[in-house]
Amino acid sequence: MANSQAICTSFKNELMNGIHAFGTTVTRAGTSADTFKAALILASGSYGAATTVYDGTSEVSGTNYTAGGVTFTWAAPATSGTTAYSTPSASFAWTTVTLSTAFDTVQIYNSTQGNKSVSIHTFGSQTVTAGNFTITMPTNDATTGLIRIA
Amino acid sequence: MNPLIWTSEGNVPVASLSYETEWDINPEYIKFVERYRNAKGETVKESAHVYDLRGLASAGVAGSF
Repeated sequence: MANSQAICTSFKNELMNGIHAFGTTVTRAGTSADTFKAALILASGSYGAATTVYDGTSEVSGTNYTAGGVTFTWAAPATSGTTAYSTPSASFAWTTVTLSTAFDTVQIYNSTQGNKSVSIHTFGSQTVTAGNFTITMPTNDATTGLIRIA
Repeated sequence: MNPLIWTSEGNVPVASLSYETEWDINPEYIKFVERYRNAKGETVKESAHVYDLRGLASAGVAGSF
């Protein structure tokens, strides 16, 4: 058996669990999971890999929609092969909302850690009128999990 | 009995509205949209449901010496 260079799979999993701090600015108040939220973003927004925080810019507004979005929890991070992954434990749901301006994105962010952004997911332009909007999560595994570090 | 449905115009008889569905299917997600329109063709109720088929992956790459 020869040696081979790699980022350790355990490290990928531990990144999701907040075990490692390469920098010196991390302050954690405890050992509990952080609170994460999902906010809907207008199709006219400019969100992407360069997005660093949730700040309400280009967020949808309308009847029965609460600014900041919905709170959710993650499935415990796991690994399979060399991939670490996690997926929200339940669907995101907005009930009896009216969102008249087209939106096409959901931003996931950490409201415990200064609203720092985690990921941006798009799903095609949409409006909702006196109705429901839901996002059902993919299967939580190394191939389709919502967040994967391969 | 004339069933009612909640719309942006309040409760109205379901029979007075036209109902349409729309599917958006691609490798990343499936989206189902259901829409009710009044006699004037205006949307008075619209719901959408997205099934995210696969999330996002980031590759961890170890540098070479």
